[in-house]
Amino acid sequence: MKKCRYIIPFLVGALALTITTCGRGDKPEADGFTIALVMKTLNNPFFIDMQKGAEDAGSKLGINLIVQAAEREVDVEKQMQIVENLIQRKVDAICVTPSGSKEIVPAIVKANRAGIPILVVDTRVDAATLEEAGGRIATFIGSDNVEGGKIAAEYLVKRLDGEGKVAILEGIPGHETGDARLSGFHHVVDQLPGIDIVASQTANWERDQGFNVFQNILQSHPGVQALFTCSDLMALGAIEAIAAAGRTGDLIVVGFDALPEAREAILQGTMAGSVAQHPSEMGRIAVENAYRLLNGENVPEEVPVTIELITRQNAGSDSTPSVSR
Amino acid sequence: MTPKDFLLHYGRQFGTLIGLLGLVIVLWILTPYFLTISNLLNVAQQTSINAIIAVGMTFVIITAGIDLSVGSIVAFSGVVLASALQAAIPLPIAILIGLVVGAFCGLVNGVLITYGRLPPFISTLGMMSVARGAALLYTGGRPISGFSSGFRYLATGEILYIPVPVIIMVLVYVVAHVVLTRTKLGRYAYAIGGNEEAAVLSGVSVKFYKAMVYGLSGMLSGLAAIILTARLNSAQPIAGMMYELDAIAATVIGGTSLMGGEGRIIGTLIGALIMGVLRNGLNLLGVSSFVQQTVIGSVIIIAVLMDMALKKQRK
Amino acid sequence: MKNDTVLELHHIRKTFPGVVALDDVRFELRRGEVHILLGENGAGKSTLVKILSGAYQKTAGQIILDRQEIDIKSPRHAQELGIAIIYQEFNLVPQLSAGENIFLGQEQIHASGLINQREIIASAQGILDDLGVEIEARKAVSELGVAQQQMVEVAKALSLDARILIMDEPTSALTEQEITELFNTIRRLKQKGVSIIYISHRLEELFEIGDRVTVLRDGKYIDTCNIADVSKSELISMMVNRELKEHFPKLRAARGEEVLRVNGLGINGVLHDIAFSLHRGEVLGIAGLLGSGRTELASSLFGVSRIDSGEIYVKGKRQRIKSPRRAINLGIGLLTEDRKSQGLIMILSTKDNICLPSVERFSRIGFVDTREEIQAATQYVGDLHIKTPSLQQQVMFLSGGNQQKVVISKWLCCQADILIFDEPTRGIDVGSKVEIYHLMNRLTAEGAAIIMISSELPEILGMSDRIMVMNQGRIAGEFSAGEATQEQILHYALEGAA
Repeated sequence: MKKCRYIIPFLVGALALTITTCGRGDKPEADGFTIALVMKTLNNPFFIDMQKGAEDAGSKLGINLIVQAAEREVDVEKQMQIVENLIQRKVDAICVTPSGSKEIVPAIVKANRAGIPILVVDTRVDAATLEEAGGRIATFIGSDNVEGGKIAAEYLVKRLDGEGKVAILEGIPGHETGDARLSGFHHVVDQLPGIDIVASQTANWERDQGFNVFQNILQSHPGVQALFTCSDLMALGAIEAIAAAGRTGDLIVVGFDALPEAREAILQGTMAGSVAQHPSEMGRIAVENAYRLLNGENVPEEVPVTIELITRQNAGSDSTPSVSR
Repeated sequence: MTPKDFLLHYGRQFGTLIGLLGLVIVLWILTPYFLTISNLLNVAQQTSINAIIAVGMTFVIITAGIDLSVGSIVAFSGVVLASALQAAIPLPIAILIGLVVGAFCGLVNGVLITYGRLPPFISTLGMMSVARGAALLYTGGRPISGFSSGFRYLATGEILYIPVPVIIMVLVYVVAHVVLTRTKLGRYAYAIGGNEEAAVLSGVSVKFYKAMVYGLSGMLSGLAAIILTARLNSAQPIAGMMYELDAIAATVIGGTSLMGGEGRIIGTLIGALIMGVLRNGLNLLGVSSFVQQTVIGSVIIIAVLMDMALKKQRK
Repeated sequence: MKNDTVLELHHIRKTFPGVVALDDVRFELRRGEVHILLGENGAGKSTLVKILSGAYQKTAGQIILDRQEIDIKSPRHAQELGIAIIYQEFNLVPQLSAGENIFLGQEQIHASGLINQREIIASAQGILDDLGVEIEARKAVSELGVAQQQMVEVAKALSLDARILIMDEPTSALTEQEITELFNTIRRLKQKGVSIIYISHRLEELFEIGDRVTVLRDGKYIDTCNIADVSKSELISMMVNRELKEHFPKLRAARGEEVLRVNGLGINGVLHDIAFSLHRGEVLGIAGLLGSGRTELASSLFGVSRIDSGEIYVKGKRQRIKSPRRAINLGIGLLTEDRKSQGLIMILSTKDNICLPSVERFSRIGFVDTREEIQAATQYVGDLHIKTPSLQQQVMFLSGGNQQKVVISKWLCCQADILIFDEPTRGIDVGSKVEIYHLMNRLTAEGAAIIMISSELPEILGMSDRIMVMNQGRIAGEFSAGEATQEQILHYALEGAA
């Protein structure tokens, strides 16, 4: 009877074992290289696309691809743990989308020390921090969110004829991607005296909050003429708020990510435009370049992935879905 | 202690240890990368932050309380510490500031719970939001990064091949074990959690010691913030999200009862290691994060089920 | 006349790993009788009851209900068979009304799908009135007294058509008057043909209410007899297997200096103008009904309740006792009425419980000297004959008597010499009771002063040097030992001062 108490812990282990073995059952160890793709999270269509691009390239090249991500996107510490563990696992190369542009640096340095090349995807590593720590990366593959913010701003200003009251819906404060888009946007509009930013609030990347926050902004600033949101989800919420106020079509709404739903809204005229990135391209190029690198070929220091302004003219043409982080 | 007393005292923890060893054996069989000295040190280092926070959580849970604010306190202490470091305040003083900020937040929890008569769940839930907001306000939402190598030594340094965070963790556990078993604070923590009314009637200053326990939990969150900041070379206002749940999980897996009055500090260390080893092992095996969450969740549930089964058996 | 047997048990055996709890036990219950189940703690009464209520399964033997052999599979099954049990701790939901509690789990559902509240209250009121108790069915259980809550439990059992009612120590929390009411109810139930298995330690009441008695000892059947044919001392000797020479082994100690004096003490609405003094070597018995202010007096002396007026002198000096800590420092110890919820920390060890109030004394700069603690605990465990396998044993696994001794050790360990014992022998078996009385003798001989609050009049009469009777927050009468009789005390307790 008493012995029973010591058997139970074994069951715990056994369960863990069962689940772990199930989890890896479908990935036979390939003869080729083992390359890891560490993303911010897996609970986001943007990264699912990236994973898909990487997997397609990987299977074409006969690469054993390991895809890992933290449970939550902002968890820089967990991402660092994953990189550390992959170093222990002795993978041949690591592609990473940093959860924090400075916070990833210590992990990069560790990989450097282990002689594992690091390919940075989508989000840039802070150059000064990297240099200070003496770390190096093999290449950067991605599009520039700051650039995207600028493109959005220029389009919005053009539609306003250089003059008007503008509101902004931000992402989660302190969040790299949103901050970059925002700073690109500010970079353009802050120089124009005709543009008056009447409100800039966070809607935490969420659609329902986009609705609520923008409804409040419409209450306090009825004269607002245009809206920039750091992601389409927030924009989609905001256009509902505009519709609820009976002002559909009155406001110029520019989003980011070019989600399918946003493209539809653009075609219907409830949104003016959005900015498209191509995550699956990023994933594909990252894996291909890692492969080249491991075969001793040179890869460029930087591979830009195109950013595209989506407006009524081209909203129907490209169907690459992507969402903001 | 006689062997029998020892078993009465640590029986449950012994079970958890066997669980950990079982896990280690399983991973050893499954992957050649697991049982290497460098990986084990790696696991210990990765466990250190959660393990240190979980010490405070163990004290709190032994008093039949809960502290949901630890993660936010990590963020807030971290950014205050970071700004102190950047203001060229000497390292020891900056570290002290980090600890004091954490302890202060914890004490506020304690005072709200004892003198304000708020349930711990509510008080620390509030503090979770307040400290997070304070960290965001304090930094304007941006991380503070770039510190001297002296400070970073706290995370990157090694003494006799052992990473400094691991050494700090071990020290914290030794001290916490002594505090819990050999001091008034520890003795009273059990008494308060076991039966608060009886503790009052035995002359225990329940309010004072309860407040101290929450202060201790806050201070250890401050310590975790120091290591985390040094590790990432950056203090983020959004750092430490969900750390409370990891700490609670480590504590509960380690055999501390949420009903209070029961628990051993060594159990919490084993609990934290089980979580660290699981995460590491699943990474090594290339298991997706979705599966990882499921596995860790299942382990928590099984640990508690096992606890209840054991108690029933004893009765 | 009433010879129709409802329930028969033959050769019941129940074993737990390593222990035989019941061995070849037989029992027979007739329709409409009150059958007393008697035995010391550990004699097997609760195990037997748990088998009848479906909480345990018998290991061997036969249960025959209405001439049919059955197995009682679960508490729910027992309920369906018409067997109900009223526990010492009530299983009521305090926030719900009496009526809702009575029909909890068997609510009538209205055609609309909602609970038919009016119907519930009305039928509950019917059952309560039938029992002859004055309880409003719509009142919340939390507003009811202990005795009334017990009646709600009984009513709940009847609502389930219980034919066999098991009552476990039903009078332990009741005052004399409430007991009388309970007995009236029991008589009513008998007339309705309900059979009652009645468990109690109080011999006096068995003679008042019981028809037959079955005695168990050490898990074995001893005898069944008609109450009318047996004497108290015969029963006791059957239970303990040794003649108890004297029920109350009171020894008088030399009366020493005054250690406690209270003048004009009052708590608004609760206590009024309390004055008394206490000397070393004496036991001051305090009698009174529940709610007479006895317990409040104890808690005000111990710094739990704030006093509104009056003075307390401890060992000659006026003191304001603001916290239990202060009281303990002054040498006061309180053995609370309810040891499970107030006296002990059930999940902690014997050692930790004994040492808890003394931790301050055993510590230097915050560190507790464990060796000193173990030494002290070992001493008291030996001194007071506390039966525990180890100092590390959690007190929840000790018997009631041993738990009570742990509480007493707690106060001895912190060198308390003014001891307030609130119901010191409640719920513990005869043997342990006597041990506690001997302990009181020893303490007074060593110069301690004891205030003993008790609902058991024989205990008050048997163990006190002086007796104080309280009624509605006032001292209604004072007697010296030998002067008082049960009738006098009861008179003052019920009627107050003349």
